[in-house]
Amino acid sequence: MTAVLQGIQLSKSFVGIPALKAVDFELHPHEVVGLVGENGAGKSTLMRLVAGVQLPSSGTLLRDGVPLVLRSPREAADHGIAMVFQEQSLLLNLSVAENLFLGREQEFMRAGLINWRRLHEAARRQLAKVELDIDPATRTAELSFAARQMLELAKALSLEDRVAGELVILLDEPTSVLERHEVALLFARVRALKQRASFIFVSHRLDEVLALSDRIYVMKDGAVVAEMPTAEASLPKLHRLMVGREQHTEFYRESDQEAHGDAVVLQARGLTAEGHYRDVDFDLRRGEVLGIAGVIGSGREELVRTLFGFLAHTAGTLKVDGAEVRFAIPADAVAHGIGYIPRERRVEGLVLLLSLASNMTLANLGVVMRHGWIRRARERLLAADWMRKLSIRASGIDALCVSLSGGNQQKVVLAKWLTAGSRILILDHPTRGLDVGAKEEVYRLVRDLCRQGTSVVLTADSLEETIGLSHTVLVMRDGRVTARFEAGRGAKPAQVDLIEHMV
Amino acid sequence: MMNLSDPVARARLRTAAPSLLLVALVILIAAVTPGFGTPQTLLEVLADTATLYLLAAGQTFVTLIGGVDLSLQAVASLSSVVLAMLVARFGYGAFVAAVLVGTVFGLCSGFVHVRLRVPSFVATLATGGVMSGTALLLSDAHSIPIGENGREYLTVVTGNLLGVPHVIWLGAVVLLVGMVVQRYSAFGRYSMAIGAGEPAAWASGVRVERQKIICFVLAGTLAGLAGVVLAARMASGSPMLANELLLPSIAAVVVGGTAVTGGVGGIGRTMIGALIISVVRIGMIFVGVNIFAQQILFGTVLIFAVGITIDRSKILIVK
Repeated sequence: MTAVLQGIQLSKSFVGIPALKAVDFELHPHEVVGLVGENGAGKSTLMRLVAGVQLPSSGTLLRDGVPLVLRSPREAADHGIAMVFQEQSLLLNLSVAENLFLGREQEFMRAGLINWRRLHEAARRQLAKVELDIDPATRTAELSFAARQMLELAKALSLEDRVAGELVILLDEPTSVLERHEVALLFARVRALKQRASFIFVSHRLDEVLALSDRIYVMKDGAVVAEMPTAEASLPKLHRLMVGREQHTEFYRESDQEAHGDAVVLQARGLTAEGHYRDVDFDLRRGEVLGIAGVIGSGREELVRTLFGFLAHTAGTLKVDGAEVRFAIPADAVAHGIGYIPRERRVEGLVLLLSLASNMTLANLGVVMRHGWIRRARERLLAADWMRKLSIRASGIDALCVSLSGGNQQKVVLAKWLTAGSRILILDHPTRGLDVGAKEEVYRLVRDLCRQGTSVVLTADSLEETIGLSHTVLVMRDGRVTARFEAGRGAKPAQVDLIEHMV
Repeated sequence: MMNLSDPVARARLRTAAPSLLLVALVILIAAVTPGFGTPQTLLEVLADTATLYLLAAGQTFVTLIGGVDLSLQAVASLSSVVLAMLVARFGYGAFVAAVLVGTVFGLCSGFVHVRLRVPSFVATLATGGVMSGTALLLSDAHSIPIGENGREYLTVVTGNLLGVPHVIWLGAVVLLVGMVVQRYSAFGRYSMAIGAGEPAAWASGVRVERQKIICFVLAGTLAGLAGVVLAARMASGSPMLANELLLPSIAAVVVGGTAVTGGVGGIGRTMIGALIISVVRIGMIFVGVNIFAQQILFGTVLIFAVGITIDRSKILIVK
């Protein structure tokens, strides 16, 4: 039986950093293939290659046995490959029918004008395929998330009319914004549609992958590490394969992890942001790394945003050095000695088109000012000093941050908060997108900072990193803290114990 | 010889392009009509540019944070009316009052934009309408000549110092102070950061709203100053006195090389931009270009100037 879609030795690297390493996979007719792996394992990269968003660096893609080069999502669509996006691709200001046939209005034109009756009729036929009973003229913004997800699916299925042969539909985290009963509905649709399409299903929720897929690929570090029929898979087995057996304790400089102090610098009691998380308690001590683990939707991202003034809490108390605080804007948090290293370092971390020096002093211009004026010479000295101390590789302190590599950009962000004298640092996925060497440097810096008395709140991409770096790990699920683990040197909890409280 | 395939060299050339263009224009026009090159005429040109420059300088502060102020010509007109009405009774106090009117209305525009979260384009269109209306009401829709009692005070604007008109000195002072503020003050640094990357500035603890309001206050104040200069030179105030200056002021900012998206540029570049616009205008009259063809030529020069100044390949979406 010929595979409807096959990848042979697919590789992709970004500026020399491999994201996908010689991946082989097959998708058979009428099959749902599950794709699992941690963040950064390469799932999304593989999906982007198949959907025509990016071209592989090397390797071949076969459709029904025929080699294929996909230069754009449009070309992928021409070959019957459609993606249901993780971040929904619908335009909310347009109607359901307009979204369904976006870019295909030609088919409904008469004398240069759109024939709305025909467009709506065609839309109704597509909606029937996913059993979505809505008026095609409805504005998409008025639909629930679940209905929008169905609409995405209907849009993908509408390719049937144009393309001969079986469709390939990529579902990239389709359930992350759905309620439980909505997920059940989506799955029922996918099962019913297996007669006319093959699916690749990417999800963080392993139980869902086990429930829906016929076969599962496990990815790690850009490669496929296992492939098995779902009948042979189980939750613990997938976990073990995803995270790998070996614990690289030294990778995280565990031997440099020192006991934290006693003074509580940041304290939360009953901290609640309505609709995001509730009743969160924690104490962050001097020199401590507090890791927060949880899946998407667990509320941990929002909790971290609260600690820096992006999202106000609605109940409970937050104290810095024993004094109650309420952050309305980030400037309030900065004034209390808190620094934030964001995952979107190119958006929220750095002003890319300003120089290294300007970025380093942005959070505390006061240190280089006298009588209300910036002393440029002083600023240059300070910047040169950080560049040396943090071994930042750049052409000079006047270089624009846009020209730096990810790891060096991250160090500039760190230098900014060190200049500001921050005693509490919030590290929001600090190693995202960094290569292994740059990651190690970040870990080393975290250890150094803690030794000097800085406290850290950490949300990391992988559990391994969370456990490796933290003194204490908080586990969150559905907006609440479900467990608390001590993770001191030589006494690290096992990943499976955390996962148990995460899902 | 500069290697044009080197991006650094190209960027440098681009920064210098407006100045080179200005010099080329002056030489070109002077070559065709020798009268243009005399120191006397060039001083004239500088003095004539002063009002446009003051408006454009204010516009620069707003442009640097990625905004636009469409009310500046209304502010200037209103301030000219205020000066004309008060100068006979209050003397120099009227000058202060007229400039302060600009400051207050700038504050209003900033407040509407920032606190009510209305895009600056719309906010200032609205506040500009309010100001125009105020000026029309105050003046009963007439121009107000400054009578004999007021004339003596006008020399503070129209006089000469060391053979150079006061307005040129004023322009020079604004230029100098503006450059220092942009280069050495926290406000200058913050507005650059906001224009180049507002989310990062916000997440660095910069009080973005306050900085934005300061920009509009400065723009309003400078527009008030422009109104005073205009009224003094014309010896009258009028609710529509500066109406023709809004678009040229924005053009001066852009031609000078300040990006409309914010974060790149400065008040020094705007001076060059304002001069280019003045020189083209006045030069065409000198050369004797047909009055209708003037508009065509003017537009063409603007497009050319903007085209060579900004590296558009880096701008993904142009709105």
